[in-house]
Amino acid sequence: MIAKLEKIFADFKSELSPLTKQADVLALKSNVIGKKGALAEILKSLKDATPEERKEIGPVSNQIKKDIEMLVAEKLQDIEVHEINEKLAKNKIDFSVTESIMANGLQAGGIHPVSKIQQDIEDIFISMGFDVLDGPHIEDEFHNFEALNIPETHPARDMQDTFWFKDLKHLLRTHTSTIQVRGMQSRKPPFKFVGPGKVFRCERTDATHEMCFHQLEGMMVGKDITVGNLIYFMKTLLKEIFQKDMEVRLRPGYFPFVEPGFELDIRWKKPGKGESKHSGWLELLPCGMVHPNVLKAGGIDPNEYNGFAFGLGLDRLVMVKYMIEDIRHLHSGDLRFNEQFKTF
Amino acid sequence: MLISLNWVNDFVKLPQLDSDDLANSFTMTTAEVEGVSTTFSHLKTIKVAEITSIKKHPEADKLNLVTFDFGGKEKKEVVCGAPNVREGLKIPYAELGTTLPNGMTLEPKKIRGILSEGMLCSETELGIGEGTSGLMELPSDAPVGKTMLEFLELKADTILDVDNKSLTHRPDLWGHYGIAREFSAAYDLDLAHPYDEKWEKSLEAHFTDVDSPIKPKVDKDSSCLGYFGLSLDGVEVDTAPAWMISRLEACGLRSINSIVDISNYVMLELGQPLHIFDRETIKDNQINIHTVKEETKFTTLDEMERTLIAGDTVISDSKEPLVLAGIMGGLNSGVTEKTTKIFIEVANWRADEVRKTSTRLGLRTDSSSRFEKSLDTRQCYTTLLRTLELVRELCPNAKVVGKPEYDGEDLSSYKPLVISTSRKNITTTLGHDVSHEKLLNIFKRLEFSVEANGEDYKLTLPSFRTTKDIEYEACIIEEVGRVIGYDNITPVSPKSDIQATRLDPAKRLARGIKDYMVYGARSLEVMTYPLIGKKLLEKAGWQDMNEELVLVNALSKDADRMRPSLVPHALNTVAVNAKQFDSFNFFELGRSYLPDAKNFAVERSQLLIGSFNKKTPTFLEVINQVEKLLTSLNIPFDLTTEDGKFKNTLVSRDWVGAHPHEYINVRIMGKFHGVISSAHPMVLKNFKTKGFFSYAVIDLSDFQAREMKGSTKYKPISTFPGSRFDCTVMVESGVAAADTLKALKKLKIKEMTEAKIADVYVQDNGKKAVTVTVNFEDPTKTLDSDFIKASEEAVVGTLDKSGFPLKQ
Repeated sequence: MIAKLEKIFADFKSELSPLTKQADVLALKSNVIGKKGALAEILKSLKDATPEERKEIGPVSNQIKKDIEMLVAEKLQDIEVHEINEKLAKNKIDFSVTESIMANGLQAGGIHPVSKIQQDIEDIFISMGFDVLDGPHIEDEFHNFEALNIPETHPARDMQDTFWFKDLKHLLRTHTSTIQVRGMQSRKPPFKFVGPGKVFRCERTDATHEMCFHQLEGMMVGKDITVGNLIYFMKTLLKEIFQKDMEVRLRPGYFPFVEPGFELDIRWKKPGKGESKHSGWLELLPCGMVHPNVLKAGGIDPNEYNGFAFGLGLDRLVMVKYMIEDIRHLHSGDLRFNEQFKTF
Repeated sequence: MLISLNWVNDFVKLPQLDSDDLANSFTMTTAEVEGVSTTFSHLKTIKVAEITSIKKHPEADKLNLVTFDFGGKEKKEVVCGAPNVREGLKIPYAELGTTLPNGMTLEPKKIRGILSEGMLCSETELGIGEGTSGLMELPSDAPVGKTMLEFLELKADTILDVDNKSLTHRPDLWGHYGIAREFSAAYDLDLAHPYDEKWEKSLEAHFTDVDSPIKPKVDKDSSCLGYFGLSLDGVEVDTAPAWMISRLEACGLRSINSIVDISNYVMLELGQPLHIFDRETIKDNQINIHTVKEETKFTTLDEMERTLIAGDTVISDSKEPLVLAGIMGGLNSGVTEKTTKIFIEVANWRADEVRKTSTRLGLRTDSSSRFEKSLDTRQCYTTLLRTLELVRELCPNAKVVGKPEYDGEDLSSYKPLVISTSRKNITTTLGHDVSHEKLLNIFKRLEFSVEANGEDYKLTLPSFRTTKDIEYEACIIEEVGRVIGYDNITPVSPKSDIQATRLDPAKRLARGIKDYMVYGARSLEVMTYPLIGKKLLEKAGWQDMNEELVLVNALSKDADRMRPSLVPHALNTVAVNAKQFDSFNFFELGRSYLPDAKNFAVERSQLLIGSFNKKTPTFLEVINQVEKLLTSLNIPFDLTTEDGKFKNTLVSRDWVGAHPHEYINVRIMGKFHGVISSAHPMVLKNFKTKGFFSYAVIDLSDFQAREMKGSTKYKPISTFPGSRFDCTVMVESGVAAADTLKALKKLKIKEMTEAKIADVYVQDNGKKAVTVTVNFEDPTKTLDSDFIKASEEAVVGTLDKSGFPLKQ
């Protein structure tokens, strides 16, 4: 009897193995362990068996039934996985054609490099407790000149070739220093702020000259502010901008709105060219202690307060950073330029 | 301005330093040196040589192979084409590596196949004369091997090129003596004072008792501050001596004749321009300084006829103007070779007047560029005497007739500027400790006289520093700072209270816009000019030419006014880029400028969003971007195709470039602050562009300063299931699919939490089958089937009543 059972199990296994269809497997299962299956047939004769025999056969047949059920379940799963995999193989996608390699127009997103550097510098100043101010582009003589200690007869009015409107009273601001004036008038010392923005000069354009460019003006007013503070500040700023300690030199410079006035130069290497004796310094940051007349025009008592101010040319920074050969690209609207600064 | 260090050495013994070190020190204490050059430096490697033999060049008739001896161990051979080569001739030989004044550096090269090392030179090539094209013939006793510098007994000079702009505020630095004073302060060296009282007395001894033939008269309304005139007889005009010519040339001036050269020499030395007349051209011995009363023609020394206008100051004789005050002399009154009687003018003029006239005439001279810096009238007398000294030196027979005659402001009533300061104020402002002794020394070097009371100082400033340069205590602090060197000041962090800072709402809004546009809309930020020209506005068909905001001195007609809108430039951006790309998105955050009756102009902060595609419309895309952008910025808005009481002024519906159908108003806080539209194909045609361009303009000005608070309100997640219902209705062609949802808004069922469109299918007849999907949900209970059924019927009924029947 036991031998019969074992034969059935062995036969089942050999029959199951080659099957690949769910229906065939189920049919085989029913043939073996179904109600009229081979196993059932054998067990029918069990009623004639002795109790000892029953005790022996019962567990064996149960075990065989269980094993068969398990093998069937395994087989069915194998068949299903196989079928799915076949489907997957059929529906394989070509994932090499990512967006980045498709000629699907221009898909780039990115901010203008001048915006980027302006934001970065604004963030540096915010982190040091400066406000960020703004001001009009169309100004009057008072804000652009007089309040900055540049009287009508001053040659500085020649130096900064100004765009004038027809009334000859209004003009396009030639520097962001106009923001200083408005900033001082709207605040009580101590205060500190920067003012970035577009400025305009009536200057023939070429690869290094633009009639419209960007400056960032800064000012700090308080009690007993020193030239040493100014230098500290400028060095910190440059370190943050360039992410390394910069070699700088501070030399006298003349700007009517500061006294003492300085030019801060940084040591840099001209791209592609050998360092000549005098090309090693780049004029970057005109700065100085705010002129008493400027404080007065801003409604601040120069005997009680003093401070420093500085200006930064953003376009030049961008050009140095990315080695841009022609400043005119910045306002060209040519996306072949802007696309290179994509971030997305 | 070119500065000769030899000349500076006349007044201060410069330290024996490399010329770059001297230049750097000047840059660091006074003004930027833009270049350093050395005169005659090439003559150090050019030697006296003697020709020993000559052979014909085998390949060229006109060339010779010249062998010569130049004091070295070996003889050399070069290829030479000069006609005057002959054996025994002594000539200058330039070795390899020499850079000639014309900029050529000698390198070994083959001439018709024969190697030539170095060059035999002409005077022109040496830069020391304008001789014939042949070799410079040296005297037969010239010592072979000696450098030409030694042989010609020339003194090499170092020339500093100082940036004129950095001297704008320093009228005292437009002559070598002033520069010498700066070096004296920078290196703490004694400055010579050759023009002292003793020297004055020695020159005043030449004055005579006779009545001066010319006494200048200064009109009060002229630009004259003071005028000295001195007459001399017995002058012989000749060529100036070599030392004078070489200094003038080193400083970039050409030699004319001895008298003109003297006037230039004195100007370069003392910084005060002067003019010397041929006295015999002055009619009736009259010199009147006055303003021109009406338009007058005047021919200046450069043979140009100039138009003077009322108010210009001139120096006239009894008949006509002779000199344009402070700017340039006339053609007819100058000194010539025949002149024997001269009149020396040393005067000072109001800076602003000189500048005004010279700017108007476009005539900037060495003289006017000095006067416009505000010179010191008190230097005129010294200048006059120095001129007299040099005239006497060059023409020993010249005799003063009478004495200097003066008219102008009363020089004796001059009160020097006195500024009080203290060591404490100076060190506090600089943030650097400077000793009392050091301060006194700096003041001495700068010729400030000091009255010290302990460490408080009362400074009396020299007149040459106070015409406009030094006015306040801050100026004194600057003087100390630059002399000790700003680089020597230790950087120290300022003391400052802690305060929280952040960007203001407008800046945060701008950042938010940029972030969304880049990462949400995949768009590139561009910048276009705030200036625009009529041509581009017309090309865009823009109605507003912004004539009120036109510049008077525009650089070009293409940028002669402020832009009234960002749209015309955007069309240009499309045209530029459509040549390169089939599709692209861009945006600009910029300003538009409009005239304003009260404030002259208003500047509107605007955002332009542009989307171009050659093949498919982009309008829907731009609408989606605007909706998402404004939502992301928490700006409440609604879109409408209806015009309100006030027309949308951002882009007029009447603009020829406006699209007849694709035009949506963006209402923000009750006003039309935005527009979404597409460019009419006709306007794109003007830009030679085909395709679809849609754009939005959002004017941020009225709300950018407001804090935008989010409207997010959290609700607990419902534990009761909702019920979703879809139905497909028919929409007539020409009717918007979204109108189905508008119709459902009328349905007041609070359990209807959402109604959206699931699908739109356009049939061949133009009708649309629109599938609407609606969600019903009650956070407090499970909806019963009767309610759901009734609600579904209400939805269908409402749609049907609004003209959207169920699809059969």
